[in-house]
Amino acid sequence: MNGKALAKKARTIGTVVLVVYAVTVATNLGEFWPFSIYPMFSQGGNNWSRSLVREFPEDDSTSWEVVGLADVPGAPFSVKKMGVDPIDLANFVSKTTIWDSVRVAALRNMFFGSETPLYQIVIYRVRGELTEDHEVLVEATPYVLLSPKGDQVNPEVQQ
Amino acid sequence: MRQAPNWNLMDNLFEFDRAESSGQIIFRKIFESFIVLGTMYLAWTWGQYTLRISDIVLPLGLARYVDISFMHGNTLPLWNAGLISVLVLLGWARLGRWPYAIAFVLLIIQYAARFTLGEIPHSSNLVGMGLLGFACGQLFYPDETSRSRFGLGFTYFFLGLAYTSAAISKLVASGITWSDGRHLWMWINEKAVDEIARSGFVELNFVQELALSSLLIATLFLAFGLIAELFSWLVWFRRTRMWVMLAILGLHVGIWLTMDILFILSVYELIILAFPWDEWIDKMLERRRRA
Repeated sequence: MNGKALAKKARTIGTVVLVVYAVTVATNLGEFWPFSIYPMFSQGGNNWSRSLVREFPEDDSTSWEVVGLADVPGAPFSVKKMGVDPIDLANFVSKTTIWDSVRVAALRNMFFGSETPLYQIVIYRVRGELTEDHEVLVEATPYVLLSPKGDQVNPEVQQ
Repeated sequence: MRQAPNWNLMDNLFEFDRAESSGQIIFRKIFESFIVLGTMYLAWTWGQYTLRISDIVLPLGLARYVDISFMHGNTLPLWNAGLISVLVLLGWARLGRWPYAIAFVLLIIQYAARFTLGEIPHSSNLVGMGLLGFACGQLFYPDETSRSRFGLGFTYFFLGLAYTSAAISKLVASGITWSDGRHLWMWINEKAVDEIARSGFVELNFVQELALSSLLIATLFLAFGLIAELFSWLVWFRRTRMWVMLAILGLHVGIWLTMDILFILSVYELIILAFPWDEWIDKMLERRRRA
């Protein structure tokens, strides 16, 4: 096979892969690994939603109040030490619309596996938005409490 | 007399007519080895993480058509990682034409099982495309040289397409105002929350403080990133490849410093692909021969 024939074959294979690429990303919201339109960070200035976790002493009464990022109560808690990816956690919290017992159990499983929780922790959903004064406003809402004695979901979130 | 630059796309990507040299053979095998190791790393990392997943929040790609829950609640992800590892090693050793292709399909399943919680990362896409390139090379080309040249050229093409596509996505979604520095302020705060979640604390670095203190500097950071992505298709041509890849590497360093996101596999791949290692290896071998 000479160079031209090899190049012609490369063009054919490349075209077929491009067609498969286009069809899969077009029918899958831009994502069909390893094909992607790479939309990450394409929407500048949009509000965002992430998560963080705080640890509380056992038997501490739970407050479901929305607070600023600097005022989140409890002690710092690293999800990394539990082997949890913070982006997974953020998506798990923001994309869950119905907090039924299965979903809460899946969240508990993510942190503690099949074991009883070792700590009393509260998972917060943190939202950020650009205000009209061009400042970044960040607020945290407690969503779920996981503790050795049982789980609770913020009543407002559960509705 | 200086030779006129060749801007033929197929020649620049695949170089099927170029005389083979030891430097090219060594360089392509190094790159293929990186793809093999990257594939094994992804298969095992995803496999181990999948063990802790018990519910599907957001099915992606293949998982939208196949109930991927058969991969959850058992050790199948680890067996799949083992099988993928054996297959890519067989492909690397040229023991059969199908191992890379089968490993590619199994890796799609591994990805679909791992990323069911809503996260959509892109750090592994370049390795995935490299594996697909070498799989197609093995399946459709007759000899070792054309197979590995196809794998490498295929990777150059889709790497350029990926970054250019990222720029087009930004321009379509936000227009030219995407590079407004306030957007970077939002992302720095967003990633700061991720860091608080990851480690419990966050301390902004010098570059982040700089971007947050000046709208102009933040805007310049984003403008550089957008321009670097927009011209990434120039990696398709040998003459511009190194400079464009260095700009893309600069983009990744910038993303790392401002948003603490490091696509480490992509950075390694760019370092391997950016420089004319084949020519440098040939020159080194020639010097050794003469000595």
